[in-house]
Amino acid sequence: MARWGMVIDLEKCTGCQACTTACQMENNRLPGENWQDVLFYNEGEYPSGKLTWLPRPCMHCENPSCVAVCPTKATYKTEDGAVLINWERCIGCKYCMIACPYGVRFYAEEKQKTQPDIRKVYPGDSGKMWNPPYRMPEHKRNLKWGVGVQPKGVVSKCNFCYHRISQAPKGTPDLDPNDPKLRDFTPACVVTCAPTARYFGDLDNPKSKVRQLIAEKRGVRLQDQTGNRPQVYYLAGEAATIPETRSVRRKQS
Amino acid sequence: MNIATLTTRSGLPLLDFNSRPDPTSAFMMLAGAIAGGIGLAAVFINLFLDGHAAFNTSSDMAWGAPIAYYLFFLLTSSGLTIIASLDTVFGLRTFYPIAKRCVWLAIITLVAGFTILALELGHPFRMLWAMPTALQIYSPMWWMGALYSIDLVLLCVKFYLLHTENWNSRLTHHLSIVSFVVCILAPGTLGLVFGMMAMRPAWYSPVMPMYFILTGFMSAVAFVVFFTSLLRRENSAAAVVREHRRADEQLLHLYDMVLPRLFFVTLLAVIAMRVGQIITGLWSNYEGMEAHWKALESPLFHIEIWAGFILPAALMSTNALRANPKMQLLASVLFMVGIFSARLELLIVGQQVPLFKGYWADYVEYTPSFTEWMLVPAGFGIFLFLYGAGNWLLRLSESRVPERLPEPAH
Repeated sequence: MARWGMVIDLEKCTGCQACTTACQMENNRLPGENWQDVLFYNEGEYPSGKLTWLPRPCMHCENPSCVAVCPTKATYKTEDGAVLINWERCIGCKYCMIACPYGVRFYAEEKQKTQPDIRKVYPGDSGKMWNPPYRMPEHKRNLKWGVGVQPKGVVSKCNFCYHRISQAPKGTPDLDPNDPKLRDFTPACVVTCAPTARYFGDLDNPKSKVRQLIAEKRGVRLQDQTGNRPQVYYLAGEAATIPETRSVRRKQS
Repeated sequence: MNIATLTTRSGLPLLDFNSRPDPTSAFMMLAGAIAGGIGLAAVFINLFLDGHAAFNTSSDMAWGAPIAYYLFFLLTSSGLTIIASLDTVFGLRTFYPIAKRCVWLAIITLVAGFTILALELGHPFRMLWAMPTALQIYSPMWWMGALYSIDLVLLCVKFYLLHTENWNSRLTHHLSIVSFVVCILAPGTLGLVFGMMAMRPAWYSPVMPMYFILTGFMSAVAFVVFFTSLLRRENSAAAVVREHRRADEQLLHLYDMVLPRLFFVTLLAVIAMRVGQIITGLWSNYEGMEAHWKALESPLFHIEIWAGFILPAALMSTNALRANPKMQLLASVLFMVGIFSARLELLIVGQQVPLFKGYWADYVEYTPSFTEWMLVPAGFGIFLFLYGAGNWLLRLSESRVPERLPEPAH
């Protein structure tokens, strides 16, 4: 069984947000409900200050704290390494959002950041929170995987495009979007990444590109001290940086 | 079967419909029905129209005011069960007169808390089957739910036993012991729900369960002092004696000496613990702890510390002040307001520093919405209505001592 993981090369990433947009379109997310986001950081001060960025999907941790805290086992880890939410079991207690160190989870039933509220413009039916005019084919929507337009009152997050990767041929070491046979099984953010900063493959397969990159370019994981052991690795190389802080660190003045 | 005709062993009615409600109970039921009705109606209407978008919570501030109210009621309930157990488990005779009242208060605070939680959850009814079938033993919230459910059942059975004059039976004693253990474990586990979250440093603390148990106990003492001081607005021994139908020095001792002192000493312990938390928070460089500095700007923090802790401690600091029911009333109300603010402040502090939202994200700001505020009259309305009804129908001043003296002349 594969154990899917992602490698993001920060030296190649241009911060263009195409991954964010592709994810939004693929998974029918609401404005601001960025399962995949690119975070921007100011580092240093004039004249040596610079702008850096960090693409941030769900980390699909090996030891996910969100799974441990979920009182209904709605959040679970699949055998092939993805962390998913079963929308038929989620009670909307939001404890997973408290317990995720990376802030990747969303409870979309909240005041919308943009107006008009798009959920009222395209009101949902048959258990859907809303009815986006462009949306995933109905047969791909899977409540047990947290795939597609969500129902009301549940938490949502990046699912590594599980409707795609779960269909990949067994034993595939890498889901390379440049291979026409594998393109449809590759997560949308990886497919769309113009500078090919994203790699997706089997972390347990010695032949996989992701494994090779992690070893040769010293892949690191975000906030490794949390013990969550993400399955998303970053390559900082010599030109890029991994943000030191999770957020704003105010000057003590 | 007509419930009005059911009686206890000694022939007292199970529900005392024969007597008219005293003015205080009647007022509480009326005020509770009005406040609860308005609150619940407002919340239901807004939830129906906007769903949970009627709340000001967001994906960055996932838990808001409803969880704070829920904490307030549930922790108070556990504290009340501890006070009741001082009599029913540890045999402290001094606390006999308030044991039954405390059990009733514990039940209705739980009911109010659960009602608020049900209105906060995305799918409250799904919880009823999804939690028991999940058996997720790694989740502190699962244990918290299980323990508080058991707590509610045990309290109801215990109240029934006391109400049917089974104070001295072995069953009551054993059940009370179990209930006592559960009422320590339940708030402790609720403390773990927050205290185990290493990714939320402002909450992360192994002493969070102790803080919850202690502040829950303190809220319970404030509740009891408040309600017992209401009984004796006339500030006379006669009122106490009339209420309990006993001419017992112990009663006055309990009300004038024991409860106010317990209030004062427990409050000092709460202050000591809170000061430790604040100093740790302000001193620490650890990321996420800067929320403690931000908290200094919040009115909630100052209401908690100055109005809720320091002022009541000063009001209860001398013997003369402690024996004055008006001061007791004032101190207990101030503490309840303070701890109510403290619960909300705690929720905000843990989530104020955003998780990986980039440099452009600022502290997460949060003020409860109108719908969230309306949960306050909803919760207190339910509580007051049930308390007034209990006071009227359930002889809450009853105690274990069997002799019933005739009503004193007045």
